[in-house]
Amino acid sequence: MDELTKMLRMWFGHDSFRPGQREVAEDVLAGRDVLAVLPTGSGKSLCYQLPAYLLQGSVLIVSPLVSLMEDQVEQLRRRGEKRVIAFHSLLDAEEKWQALASLEAFRFIYASPEMLQSAKFLAALRRVRFSLFVVDEAHCISQWGYDFRPDFLKLGEIRRSLGAPPCLALTATAPPEVQDDIIRTLGMDGARRHIYSVDRPNIALQVEHCSSTEDKAARLADYARRLEGPGIVYFSSRQWAEEMARRLEQCGAGRVAYYHAGMDGEQRLLVQQQFLYGQLDIVCCTSAFGMGVNKENVRFVLHFHMPAQLEAYVQEIGRAGRDGAPSLAVLFYADGDRAIAQAVAEAELLSPHELREWCWRLSEGSGWETAMAALEAAGLTDIQKRLLAYFLEREQRVMPGRLTAETKERLYGKMATAIEARRRWKRKKLQEMDEWVHLSSCRRQALVRAFGEELTDRRDVCCDRCGLSLDGYERAARRPEAAPVRHWREELWDMFFGGGADE
Amino acid sequence: MRQRYASFLLAHCLRRFNGERTLAAVYHLFSGKKSAQTLQDSKWFQLESFFGTWKDVTMAVLEGAARTLVEQRLAAPGGNRTYRLTGEGRRWLAEQETFFPRHLNGWRYHEAEPLFWQRLSLIGQTLSNLVYGRRFVPICRDERTLQWVKQYLLAKGSRQTLAELFYKELVQLLEAVSEEAAAIFTLRLTSAVRIGWTMEQIAAHLQKDALYVQFQFRNVLHYMMAEAEAGRAPMMAELMSGLAPAVLTQSAQKTYEWLQKGKTVGEIAELRRLRRSTIEDHIVEIAANVPGFSIAPFVDDEKAASIRAAARALKTRRLKEIREALDGKASYFEIRLVLAKEVGRWTN
Ligand SMILES: [Zn+2]
Repeated sequence: MDELTKMLRMWFGHDSFRPGQREVAEDVLAGRDVLAVLPTGSGKSLCYQLPAYLLQGSVLIVSPLVSLMEDQVEQLRRRGEKRVIAFHSLLDAEEKWQALASLEAFRFIYASPEMLQSAKFLAALRRVRFSLFVVDEAHCISQWGYDFRPDFLKLGEIRRSLGAPPCLALTATAPPEVQDDIIRTLGMDGARRHIYSVDRPNIALQVEHCSSTEDKAARLADYARRLEGPGIVYFSSRQWAEEMARRLEQCGAGRVAYYHAGMDGEQRLLVQQQFLYGQLDIVCCTSAFGMGVNKENVRFVLHFHMPAQLEAYVQEIGRAGRDGAPSLAVLFYADGDRAIAQAVAEAELLSPHELREWCWRLSEGSGWETAMAALEAAGLTDIQKRLLAYFLEREQRVMPGRLTAETKERLYGKMATAIEARRRWKRKKLQEMDEWVHLSSCRRQALVRAFGEELTDRRDVCCDRCGLSLDGYERAARRPEAAPVRHWREELWDMFFGGGADE
Repeated sequence: MRQRYASFLLAHCLRRFNGERTLAAVYHLFSGKKSAQTLQDSKWFQLESFFGTWKDVTMAVLEGAARTLVEQRLAAPGGNRTYRLTGEGRRWLAEQETFFPRHLNGWRYHEAEPLFWQRLSLIGQTLSNLVYGRRFVPICRDERTLQWVKQYLLAKGSRQTLAELFYKELVQLLEAVSEEAAAIFTLRLTSAVRIGWTMEQIAAHLQKDALYVQFQFRNVLHYMMAEAEAGRAPMMAELMSGLAPAVLTQSAQKTYEWLQKGKTVGEIAELRRLRRSTIEDHIVEIAANVPGFSIAPFVDDEKAASIRAAARALKTRRLKEIREALDGKASYFEIRLVLAKEVGRWTN
């Protein structure tokens, strides 16, 4: 057994690598810059966690999602790793500032891009010797990625200020132009690209064309009742997720719960854990669900509303079949769904009218900071703010000084153009998704092509266009009833002493 | 379904407010707004137990509940966006007595409650999994709680013994509440064999209003915390460590200390570089919360007696009305002080 496999067994308890993991880890250990595009569920985090045990120095991991970060930290700690710490704005900063003095003691330092804006935090990071700079969900760097985060743009600069340690950029989905963006922004020109196919052969693809929303709901219920679970159903709104969760449970689809960002943290965590531990058959959710849910045996992913772009779709269906067993992805489509997807996607974009209003209200003669402050006061959504802040910062660099009527007009013009460009791009993406839904040829072929790949061999089970029978995905037996709830005394007794007898 | 318990809660507040406050005051009470007005309101109208106990309440829900009450002729709109219970409303409310969460003490526990519950549920999950010999993912993500529970369990010896103690104390506490409340609480717990249920899941299981379930759950938590503070639940008392709430806000506490050193309102305002009215707010807070505190230095006995008499005669706690009745001879500060002191001695 070679060194790397030994380490894999020792630290992670696995006997073999999944596709891509070894190749990426080896390049990272060789000190190269690496861009790795590995499909969801392929164990991306191992690509830096394993090398971390062989490299001298600490590893900095930048991750955009607090929940994702917490999951990673949790998993590392469960494996017995104590030298791990996470910094994100939600944590009590004061507690953590003490740790800043001894940062180099940590092997894994996780940070949100927001934290990296803090001068104090950056100063502490500069005292650490980093052997690796990891950017997770690196597609967020690209304005043309489906989840653009302006604060990711500064990561290249931050990496340089930390002495330019070798860089590993990780993502599950990145078409060629997004890959180029990542490499350019992070300043990793000679990077090795490890691109693994977005195709997940064990997931069969199907689109159900429905005559109306009600028809969709009825057919969804029918699928949910018949299919072998567990499964996830995606919706574009919280109301629909809640409503259909109730309907599915009523129609006998098993134990169903809903999940969305409007619920408090504890209730969300409960639903997530219930799903992981097999207490639920179906979760009806918005796109907020899924990141960090490492459930191997998800048998189906259904979409009640179509996502606004193929990247998001691929991410979401990728949560099915991580164990490699046959799984199914069905998208339900009815007339009008395209308009819904467009409305959701463009909610982040101000209309020219709103933008003009906002620009006009900026007071002349003041500095750019006033414009930044005005962003806070304008009652915009978070994503709108992030986007405008990004445009503002860009314009500030070309037009320093104080705001005048003229700069305001120019600012409006520039921002309007940028927003328009983004709108056009979003429409193009939606168009691509829409075409895929209405495709008459192989869906898998079209999907991989959208990511700049070609399908090399034909699968036996592929998609509805190639011919697909649902027999193999149907539930063999009746779904087991939920364990009955007993008297609270018995439940409580079971909690502490129920397992005693067979231990 | 949610609407029904919301209506009950609102009706209770309306009876106490007696047409003297708008729905906004109800909203601030439930959401736990830390303004002098809301803090005093909750005392004067004896609604402290509900303070901060429904953090995600919205005006829309309250307005909906008010509409329901009006439609059922249980309440009638008054002027200035206020509502009063009708005679029928009062009878109806009296019949609902069993739904009243009688251990609820939002005034004292609304801040400590989330951390207390996090500790309790994480210790329960941890002990259960240790007994079963299973690995698990903590049901809590709060770093403070994770650290605290870890330290706590490390400091304790045998897990088996601790599990037994924990179990016994939970049973003893749950026996004192209703069977339903005990069931709700138990279903919320996460163990090695079952992840805790959400409020909605419990509500669906019991075929009850989710808001009702939430208040029943909170009722049990507050009971446990009160028993802990009374020295009757030693393990819960340990979970309370560092969480026991202060009687006064920090700033009022400082003012209290200066008062005890013999400083006047003016001197304290100068010393602390605060406005005189802020110091007066503190003194009202102290009067309402510190039983032995005498208001004699701030309002003479005769005036206090006339304020009391006016408030009683007018059956109101509206400052403006009382002041007018006294021909403006008492200041708002003096009236507030007297009313703060009077809390609990007379109610409708
Ligand atoms: Zn095909």
